Amino acid sequence: MRSLRRTVSELWHGWLQRRIPPSRQVLLDQRRIFIFPSGYGFFFLLIAVLLFVGGINYENNLLLAFSFLLVSLFLMAILHTFRNLAGLKLVAASMRPGFAGARGALEVRILSAHHAHRSIWLHWPGAPAEELSVEPGEEKSLWLSVQLLRRGRQHPGRLRVESRYPLGLLRSWSLVDLDHACVAWPKPLPGGECPASGGDDDSGVNHQDRGSEEFEGLRSYVAGDSLRLVDWKSYARGRGLNTKQFSDPAEGRLWLEWNRLPGHDPESRYSRLCYWVLQLDQRGERYGLRLPDGELEPGTGPLQRERALEMLALSGESR
Amino acid sequence: MARVYQVPRHAFPWLISGALLASLPHMVRAELWLSVVVPLLLLWRIMIQRGRFAMPGKLVRGMLLLGLAGATLYSHGTLLGPDAGVTLLVAAFALKMLEMFRLRDAYVVIILAFFVLATAFLFSTGPLISIYIGLVLVLMVAALIGINHPESGVSPWRHFRLSLTMVGQAVPLMLVFFMLVPRLPPLWSLKVEQQQGKTGMSDSMAPGEISRLSRQNDLAFRVEFEGDVPPPSLRYWRGLTYGWFDGRRWSQAVPPALDRQEYVRFPNGVSPQWYLQLLADRGDAAWKYRVVMERSGRQWLYAMSVPFSDKADVGLARDLRLVRRTDLETTYDYRVTSYLMPVALEGLKEWESQFYVALPSGSSPRAAAMAKQWRDQSVSDAAYVNRLLRWLNEAEFYYTLEPPLLGQHTVDDFLFRTRRGFCEHYASSFAFLLRAAGIPARIVAGYQGGQLNPLGNHLQVRQYDAHVWVEAWLPEQGWVEFDPTAAVAPARIELGLEQALAGFNEQTETGLAAVFRSNPLLARLGYLMDYIEFGWAKWVLGYNQQSQLEFLSRWLGKVTPERMVMALAAVGGSVMTAMLIWMLWRARRPGLMWWQREYRAMLRLMQKRGLNLPAHLPPAQVIAAAAQRYPRATAALQDWQHCFEAAVYRPPATDPELLRRQMVVLRRKVARMSRR
Repeated sequence: MRSLRRTVSELWHGWLQRRIPPSRQVLLDQRRIFIFPSGYGFFFLLIAVLLFVGGINYENNLLLAFSFLLVSLFLMAILHTFRNLAGLKLVAASMRPGFAGARGALEVRILSAHHAHRSIWLHWPGAPAEELSVEPGEEKSLWLSVQLLRRGRQHPGRLRVESRYPLGLLRSWSLVDLDHACVAWPKPLPGGECPASGGDDDSGVNHQDRGSEEFEGLRSYVAGDSLRLVDWKSYARGRGLNTKQFSDPAEGRLWLEWNRLPGHDPESRYSRLCYWVLQLDQRGERYGLRLPDGELEPGTGPLQRERALEMLALSGESR
Repeated sequence: MARVYQVPRHAFPWLISGALLASLPHMVRAELWLSVVVPLLLLWRIMIQRGRFAMPGKLVRGMLLLGLAGATLYSHGTLLGPDAGVTLLVAAFALKMLEMFRLRDAYVVIILAFFVLATAFLFSTGPLISIYIGLVLVLMVAALIGINHPESGVSPWRHFRLSLTMVGQAVPLMLVFFMLVPRLPPLWSLKVEQQQGKTGMSDSMAPGEISRLSRQNDLAFRVEFEGDVPPPSLRYWRGLTYGWFDGRRWSQAVPPALDRQEYVRFPNGVSPQWYLQLLADRGDAAWKYRVVMERSGRQWLYAMSVPFSDKADVGLARDLRLVRRTDLETTYDYRVTSYLMPVALEGLKEWESQFYVALPSGSSPRAAAMAKQWRDQSVSDAAYVNRLLRWLNEAEFYYTLEPPLLGQHTVDDFLFRTRRGFCEHYASSFAFLLRAAGIPARIVAGYQGGQLNPLGNHLQVRQYDAHVWVEAWLPEQGWVEFDPTAAVAPARIELGLEQALAGFNEQTETGLAAVFRSNPLLARLGYLMDYIEFGWAKWVLGYNQQSQLEFLSRWLGKVTPERMVMALAAVGGSVMTAMLIWMLWRARRPGLMWWQREYRAMLRLMQKRGLNLPAHLPPAQVIAAAAQRYPRATAALQDWQHCFEAAVYRPPATDPELLRRQMVVLRRKVARMSRR
């Protein structure tokens, strides 16, 4: 029984994969849209059938005509419900990562080419739906939150695009694979010694003295530079934002290393490293990262943190 | 309680007005309490929507439901049957408006509203009510669209427009279904009439009953002739005969021992001897016509003698009238061919010659004595009949709608004391005098006359045309019709009731109808309405299995179920495809932004005012040129330009709907101010 269900499910997904292959950009058309009456649609048809029977039995042509009108309205609703989804373009846009166990978000851009698309519901499997409407020629973006269960790149599954507009008697939907993934950073695990090498001693975390680094000069600020390194005095004098450059003394360089956490399972090693990345970033330390499958040169600031977290997130994944 | 579902603001007006208008036909028709309760419940719902009241709790709703069921039970004596059922349905529908906690409840209310709307057709089937129901359907569909669009700030008119489009698109498809879906015979017998009453003639007649009917203006039936319309003096529409007299009341009756198969002949039944004889004697058809009869709740049909119908469920009775197998619960449409022929049958049967002379013993002795005396003095039955008619014509008899009450011996009292009566008095006395003289006689009830509608060349026969007359069996001739009323008031036959009464200084009390007839414009309007209603009755209400077969056989040749299904699929499918293509084609056209349309409207206005501007002039220059020409409108023009720029260059900053409305207002202002 169970295997039968699995087989059916596999067949369904295989068929879906062939019919609507993953793509960063999908235009909904008749190949990609499914349509089926909703529960209310069946209720509505039931009423029409009751009226038909009443019309036959009372030999009342107007009752019959009314029931035919309801059925025709239902048939027209098929066209309108289909059209409401047809011509809608979905584009995978940016991504907002998050820690494993928390939530990330994916951006989907929705474009209307010719006509309005109203009351469109979008959601990933198992997630609450978001509703929006797009007018002709309009483009809207929607951030859809994704539950991140484990570290790494996460595919949220096929995006369900659904609409019951205008009458709610039918549901037209599509299952779209936007080839979209959300990155989950490891869940930070506090505690333990800092798994760092470099500096005077291996446990030397508390490098508060910046004096040991040698000031080299100024360069103009680029996004991602640590705000701690901005030369605020020169900024106050109206010389613009500049970042102080220090030469890296060997002893000021911290390498967070995978190899320094023996005895832990891989996931908790990533979690510890993640915790320390956040700690060091908060303190404004310079740090590098050394993982079995890669290395990140030391640096500081938000950009460095992003890179480090992403490396931790994607490490170990088959490419 | 959990969070209560709020009907979107833009859907609510449609929902509430649709609910009220859907209940309106029932409120007008049914009990008074319904037309009080439904608006009150809807008002309550409005207050809830505005946040003044909370949704009532379970207890209150339960008590209201019990109260409504109780009131229905009190008014109808039952909760079952179409009449009580519909009353309860309408009341419960209004109550359901107070029970809207989820989106699901809103759906249920709207789908119920469709049901409430349709049930109005059980009680009235005119063209106007059908258009009305269609319009209310548009409102309810607009409400349905509204609840499916849960965003705020949407214009309710957008729902209305879409609803109108969808219903408009559904109508052609509905017509296809209406024409092509096979009509089935009723699956089981249903009766609406329980409380609705029967109208028109009844199966018995006492003095005063026909004159009461004569005050009604309701339509009984319409007749459309193939060829010439017979003159008024021949328009005797037979419905039934009364053969039994109890001294006051004439009733339809046959001896209990009589075999029904012998008495009424249905097309697929046995043909009795008298029927075969009729067929053999009938000769050429005199009149061919189609009768569209209003609901009567009775099974007898009206036609001129001797009628033959084309319907499978219509039989001919031995007393030469058409009978339908079941009562008429809807408009009924039948074709008749009438033959003018002497109806000698094969002679009177034993039971007939006894039955048609029977009188209650000791009733109206003076009249009975006079009848015997006069018959003895006459050479033949025919001479006796003529003497009676002459007497009625010459003696001081009055034709009146308000006859005095008659005592125990009704015939004596009428003939020798009051002498004021309506057709039932004359027919009753005449038949009595015939029977008392030993001549078999019976009363025929039906309608006489009918007004010709010049537009459709058809006759309208109304309740006030109700009439009774007499048939007597004369040797060698068979059944012969005599109209004693015609002897008293000839105008009744030639000119109709109104003129006849005017001859006796009396007026009909049909009130409004008389006003209608006297004013030529209103009369024309009346004819037009009647013409439309007749067409409606013929083509829409009268479209049945038989007319469907006739219609389809013209297209399909031989009508088989497979061909019907194929025709339905082909025509329905092509209508659907046409709609789809139209919808897609409309979508392909590059849509203009609303502000582009607004700009074009402004350009058109300027062109109408005679300001010829070169094409593709920038808006700023258009406005400048307009302002130069119409200095008074400068302020409005400039405001319009600001709005336009805001719309084009800073779309997200302002609410576009607001901006659009503002621009329309300004454009109208410009139009006013630039007028010379």
